[in-house]
Amino acid sequence: MRATPSGLVIFLGVLTLAAPLTSGAEPAAPVTFEKDVEPILTRAGCNAGACHGKASGQNGFKLSLLGFDPTFDHMAIAREAGGRRVLPSIPDQSLFLQKATAELPHGGGRRIEPDGPFYETLRRWIADGLPRTPADAPKLERVVVEPAERTLGREEAFDLRVAAHFSDGSTQDVTHLAAYGSSESTLVAVDAEGRVKAGPIAGEATISARYEGLFANCDVSIPLPGEVDAALYDALPRSNFIDDHVWAKLKKLGLTPSAPAGDATYLRRAYLDVIGRLPTPDEARAFLDDSAPDKRARLVDRLLERPEYAEHWANKWMDLLRPNPYRVGIKAVFNLDGWIRDAFRRNLPYDQFVREIVTARGSTFEQGPATIFRDHREPIEIAPVVSQLFLGIRLDCAKCHHHPFESWGQEQFYEFAAFFARVDRKGTGLSPPISGSEEVVFSGKKGSVEHPLTGEALPPKPLFGSLPPDVDPEADPREALARWMTAADNPYFAQVMANRVWADLMGPGIVDPVDDLRATNPPSNGPLLDALAVDFRDHGYDVKHLVRTIMASSAYALSSEPNDRNIADTRNYSRHYRQRLRAETLLDAISDATGVPDDFDAAPPRSRAVNIWTNRVPSLFLDTFGRPDPNQDPPCERTSDTAVVQALHLMNAPGVHEKLASDEGQAAALAKGDKSPRAIVEELYLLAYSRLPTDEERTVGESLFQEPGADRRAVVEDILWALLNVPEFVFKD
Amino acid sequence: MAISRNCESTTRRDCLRLGLGALIGGGLVDALRVRGQAAIPGARPTSCILIWMDGGPSHYETFDPKPEAPAEIRGKFDAIATSVPGVRFSEPMKRLAAIADKLTIVRSIRHDQGNHGAGNHYMITGAPPRIPVGCGAFVSFHPSMGAVAAHERGAEGGLPAYFSIPSMLRSGGPNFLGAKYAPFVVPDDPNSAKFRVRDVAPPRDIASPRADGRRSLRDRLDHFKRFADKSAGDPALALDEYYEQGYELMGSRQAQRAFDLSLEDDRLRDRYGRNSFGQRCLLARRLVEAGVPFVTLNEGGWDHHVSLFDGFEKRMPSFEGSIAALIQDLDQRGLLESTLVLALGEFGRTPKINKDAGRDHWSNAMSVLVAGCGTPGGQVVGATDARGYAASERVLSPENLAATVYTKLGIDPGKILHTPSGRPTYLVSDPTPIRELMG
Repeated sequence: MRATPSGLVIFLGVLTLAAPLTSGAEPAAPVTFEKDVEPILTRAGCNAGACHGKASGQNGFKLSLLGFDPTFDHMAIAREAGGRRVLPSIPDQSLFLQKATAELPHGGGRRIEPDGPFYETLRRWIADGLPRTPADAPKLERVVVEPAERTLGREEAFDLRVAAHFSDGSTQDVTHLAAYGSSESTLVAVDAEGRVKAGPIAGEATISARYEGLFANCDVSIPLPGEVDAALYDALPRSNFIDDHVWAKLKKLGLTPSAPAGDATYLRRAYLDVIGRLPTPDEARAFLDDSAPDKRARLVDRLLERPEYAEHWANKWMDLLRPNPYRVGIKAVFNLDGWIRDAFRRNLPYDQFVREIVTARGSTFEQGPATIFRDHREPIEIAPVVSQLFLGIRLDCAKCHHHPFESWGQEQFYEFAAFFARVDRKGTGLSPPISGSEEVVFSGKKGSVEHPLTGEALPPKPLFGSLPPDVDPEADPREALARWMTAADNPYFAQVMANRVWADLMGPGIVDPVDDLRATNPPSNGPLLDALAVDFRDHGYDVKHLVRTIMASSAYALSSEPNDRNIADTRNYSRHYRQRLRAETLLDAISDATGVPDDFDAAPPRSRAVNIWTNRVPSLFLDTFGRPDPNQDPPCERTSDTAVVQALHLMNAPGVHEKLASDEGQAAALAKGDKSPRAIVEELYLLAYSRLPTDEERTVGESLFQEPGADRRAVVEDILWALLNVPEFVFKD
Repeated sequence: MAISRNCESTTRRDCLRLGLGALIGGGLVDALRVRGQAAIPGARPTSCILIWMDGGPSHYETFDPKPEAPAEIRGKFDAIATSVPGVRFSEPMKRLAAIADKLTIVRSIRHDQGNHGAGNHYMITGAPPRIPVGCGAFVSFHPSMGAVAAHERGAEGGLPAYFSIPSMLRSGGPNFLGAKYAPFVVPDDPNSAKFRVRDVAPPRDIASPRADGRRSLRDRLDHFKRFADKSAGDPALALDEYYEQGYELMGSRQAQRAFDLSLEDDRLRDRYGRNSFGQRCLLARRLVEAGVPFVTLNEGGWDHHVSLFDGFEKRMPSFEGSIAALIQDLDQRGLLESTLVLALGEFGRTPKINKDAGRDHWSNAMSVLVAGCGTPGGQVVGATDARGYAASERVLSPENLAATVYTKLGIDPGKILHTPSGRPTYLVSDPTPIRELMG
């Protein structure tokens, strides 16, 4: 099992067996606030983010989000509003109960049944004088869900049981108080009572039970019915460790992989994945004609050495790192862009890449990464960016409240932010919309981060584990942070990057979203992610090695065409998952296929879309195909969806049409040349799809030239237009 | 890297509510269709035309003149009578004054964002920027009203549901709703004889038999395998649907007519004004008529730090005339009942005229024009103090305005959307519409 910072999940399997569950409330036990009342408020949704738990409360009554601040909540219930919310002498007349049961008008409706056990508990608590749980009362230590693992048939259901374990060894059945969630609710649903139900599709899901800030998981798998001969899996090709893990998972679920992809499909896939462009017809012919058994591996090696590799992969990182030039200035952004591109050109080891970013210093006009600290100016701004990008840990929630689906608390957030407390700047700060000045980022002598509630200055502290022992207290704390982040025993660091690259090449991430690694969002194949990360780390965080390793696997080279035993599988890599080409890649592919380059603002003539250094460079095409809106915060949203405006744009846009119809373009050249219709059709298929046409396609194409009155140039343009408008062009298959 | 967030802003937790399998495969496309329905069955669906006066128009020189104020505040224009007794506009607003009985002026919206980036964000999304932003900054922390309308309402016949003409507003994007709800931008000038709405018809020199030939050729050459079983999640199926919708739009007489301004009577085109903005107003009316729920007209040039009065004299007669023509035209066609027209900017302008005969940014006071969609005409909501320094009566917020727009569009302003990370976000934090506008 993967390490988790809380350590909670790790012990589940063992502890479930240990303690028999005792029944809930003994009649004699006193009802107290933290132990008995808060859980009911959470369960009934009173303190949810959409109700009284939101920052401004609801209708004048505010509770802490999900009950993480019992003192505040007790005060709100017992004292605020002149104490009229609770009336110990006539508890049933308490506003608190009358609202919750909707006896009095309540925006949230009836949350508590008037004749149910929750009501009785709350009523007793009020009648007993609103006691807090004594400070020395047994503490909740962990939550255990039973079973921790379960294999289900399709449409089968079972009930979870959740137990709270206290420091005195006692336990309480909290099944009726826990909140439940499914990591894949299209596959496995869980209802509010903890009843788990499988759907009709084979796959896996993790059910989380959350109680009082702690949670525990139950892993559910639904194998596909029917027997698969084990020999089938034994006979599958195993090119490297990736195949072992993928096939093992398929075997467990009774899924079978699709057939291997053909050479032409592999060729186009590999070009698009490694260098973000299509092969030329000559390159395609050479590869298709090559009969050497190792031609695929040699192709990948060649592609990794092409200059376009750096541009393509840098372009992806721009989405994540590149700020809005209106905010931080053109020169600073341009400088950062250049640094990222150069890092990929040099194949800078990933740990070094991250270290240079996290510890950036110097002029924003000279040191690219310094621009990131011009953009994110406060420790509390940069901290969650760093944790999400490089560790896959989303801390943003913990800035204001305990993370609802994780174990990160506010204190941890501010302790982590404290690593950036001494970052200082000289020069002129932001002055949008030009912001053209130079700024120098350096590590100052002073600076601290305070806890927002206690005001206490917090020392820098990593999210888990400990700092390297030989940390120099005088040095820039970011140095220590970078060493902790990139340390060999920090599994998150290599995992999140391995997962990103995997998702680029394979479709969905092993963890999806790619930068959200947490126990309640488990990987679809944990051993695979572990192994990829370890291999990446052991090879010096060499990104090209990572790409090469994934592409060398047989799993990468599968066809996208499903079979009967994997058609519904969208998470386990039993087939290749189609991806729409990203905006820049698609535009460059159109430029290549039509033979007409673009002319972008703020870029040298004949620049490609992948070379654009800021999304502020206007392009209707790139906007239409979902490049990130440069105005947006956070800046890293890119959509890979399709939309009707994309279809319209490909069919009709003047920009695309001009390329097709250009006198300087491919269509004009082919029409003017002396190639036969047959050869022209072949060339067009190689240009657009990197494959030869089938006989039928050849016949259709050729026949157009023979139609009475056919205009050779118009025919070529029409065929090329049609090819660009078929999904075969738009998707990586 | 593929940041593969779910851009429908549907969290996995939501999927549970939708039921097993509902989101698998092409379900999203279907969901889109379902939303394209009228808010109230039988009634004409409501629409909004939002005229954005980028820069922040002066409240003094538009709808909140202060003729009794000292000269350095009053400015050079007189206050003129309108068709509503007792209500006065500033002198340049002549044609709107004549139809004041159709309009409501809200004089008391105020906020505390004194720069363009932040003011735009607040007014256009109903949410203040989450962190301080600079003046020229372009930011988006929350979906804009147009993007929400597209998300919640959709449009039929392949029509985009949110147009922004001729460009997107700084904060006019969809934010976490995803690019599908970004505005359809029409950059070309409808006052030009060669004007066409982009992408909705084949290129000009591809005449119709050739365009039809291309369509059938595309079908004949398409041998890309589709995995029809929805559970396979083949993204090519969604693209197929979008090509169908695209062809539907290209073939829809109704939609194509909406884009074709040459079908309008010349005299009506003249009334709108033979200039880019005037013809854009006309295009907006035609789009609304064809069922588009949200059209933004982005018209800059209102940041009068310098030469405010000259600027108004040159620009305003034609500008306000176009707005008046739009409102009258909608009214005559019976469309004003279902069409909300707004004209506003980021904020108002400073009371004291500066040394350059201009006024600077001032978010303590502003005037917003509202008409149609059940808004009672002929009223003024709220007031600023005697010298126009600050909203002083019936003080309202951008949230109230956004809640009004949403309510009129049949969208619950108190609705909770979920960001891709699962965080619940109120559409508008204060979902109280401005009651005077609700009729």
